Amino acid sequence: MTDKIATPDLMVYAMASEIENFNTVLHGVSSPLPVLGMSVARRTHAPDMAYISGAEGVDSEIDRIYPSSFDPRLNRNAVAYFGLHEAFDLAQRGELNVMFLGAAQIDRFGNTNLSVIGKIDNPKVQLPGGAASAFLMPITPKVVIWATRHTFRVFVEAVDFVTGQGYNNRSEGCKKNKIVVVSNLGVMNFENPGRTMQIQSVHPGHTVDEIKENTGFDILAAPDVGETPVPDQDIVDLIDRIDPDGIRRSEFH
Amino acid sequence: MKSVLTSFEEATELVDDGALLTFGGATFQRAPMEFIRELVRQGKKNLTLIDREPAMDFDLLIGAGCVAKVRTGMLAFEVFGMAPNFRRKSEKGEIITKEGACQPIIAGFRAAAMGLPSLPVKGMLGSDLLTISEVIGSQKQIEDPFTGEKMIAVKAIEPDVAVIHAQKADAFGNVRIEGPLYEDVIKAKAAKKVVVTVEELISAGEIRKTPEATTLPHFIVDAVVEVPKGAYPCSCFNYYDTDYDHIQEYLQAAAKDTFEQYLDKCVYRRESE
Repeated sequence: MTDKIATPDLMVYAMASEIENFNTVLHGVSSPLPVLGMSVARRTHAPDMAYISGAEGVDSEIDRIYPSSFDPRLNRNAVAYFGLHEAFDLAQRGELNVMFLGAAQIDRFGNTNLSVIGKIDNPKVQLPGGAASAFLMPITPKVVIWATRHTFRVFVEAVDFVTGQGYNNRSEGCKKNKIVVVSNLGVMNFENPGRTMQIQSVHPGHTVDEIKENTGFDILAAPDVGETPVPDQDIVDLIDRIDPDGIRRSEFH
Repeated sequence: MKSVLTSFEEATELVDDGALLTFGGATFQRAPMEFIRELVRQGKKNLTLIDREPAMDFDLLIGAGCVAKVRTGMLAFEVFGMAPNFRRKSEKGEIITKEGACQPIIAGFRAAAMGLPSLPVKGMLGSDLLTISEVIGSQKQIEDPFTGEKMIAVKAIEPDVAVIHAQKADAFGNVRIEGPLYEDVIKAKAAKKVVVTVEELISAGEIRKTPEATTLPHFIVDAVVEVPKGAYPCSCFNYYDTDYDHIQEYLQAAAKDTFEQYLDKCVYRRESE
């Protein structure tokens, strides 16, 4: 049955697994996978996490997701509202433990680009912008990047523009903060002396070689590389219940 | 207190061509869409728009040719993808795009709201966004005078006009925003002029019964306009949800080169011939 788990669900579970109990966690805009990951974590291994929604609700009971990650219906049964500026205050105090961010390009050092393909003043492709990336990437203890298309066009040798800071663009103090990358093929980390991207686990049905072939730079497997854990049926059912319309699949088209 | 109850036309006169504007809400939630459609109908030009995470509000004004410059943290249509007019005009060089990042934009509003010329923030160091922001003069590296910590000073952002759609207000400009506030209170305090469109007018007596529900007191607000459904197709909490079908219709119109027809139908509300 394990090879039947759909990729978005595997990614949601992998993202949920990055959250520890009692963590304070924030999601931002355009974030169906993070919303689902945070919801799964809170209903499984991290019941005491502080859940801050981009829609501003704290510890809301997410019974449904919507095309907008700021939809006020995401605040159902919240205990409080907590604005983004307040969440950013928390981040500056070092008290926001985990944040989820996207990337149109990511390189071996973990630099992300959400700004432009080509030159900033004359873009070949104008991308949406990095939102909170440049602020939160260096200062947040753990940033989880999700990438639904693991190809050499996304996992590039060098990003066209550094929106979010990888390890070669960080002060010493910010190098201790972790980056984890969850793609449609596997989970990557930077837990080696050179702080370069390595394969932590491979999703069932995929291989280390497949990840290497689809990565635009030399990527090594971690010494203890394994298979990405798969969610059990209860978790898959939970994801389906919260997202009956399959909004989580929109990024995979 | 004097009445600031205003007609739609008078309120839009507060927005000059070339003005620096920001709007309440975030992405598809409580953006002042009907006021924005009125700006399009009046043919406003050369506007500069600034906000952390706008969506259709900015893209509509850009598509209608009202905008010269935009500064945002992210401008997209959530799971529906890119903002079509923003992308097209930015790639053609028809608008000037200066990407910021959410925190420096919010901090810029906060500085202006506090009457300060700038505010320090963490993060940003090592990002190319800092480099381009230093060139345009919106951010600068500094050292904290006490600890020597390297930080970023963000220049205050004082919009000419902040336009906010709220649920309720009285005629004097005491405003109740219900549900998520986003940075609306900060933006209102930061701006030179504040226009609030509301779902419904309530009495000053009603306001006095629960002052803790008032999010903006009257002296911050320059104009109140009663505009039911004023955020449509965005949501207005406690009144209506986002009309995601309409937003997809907008995207299809922009993608198929039928955006003018969308403007005719949904903004100018002209009969099709």
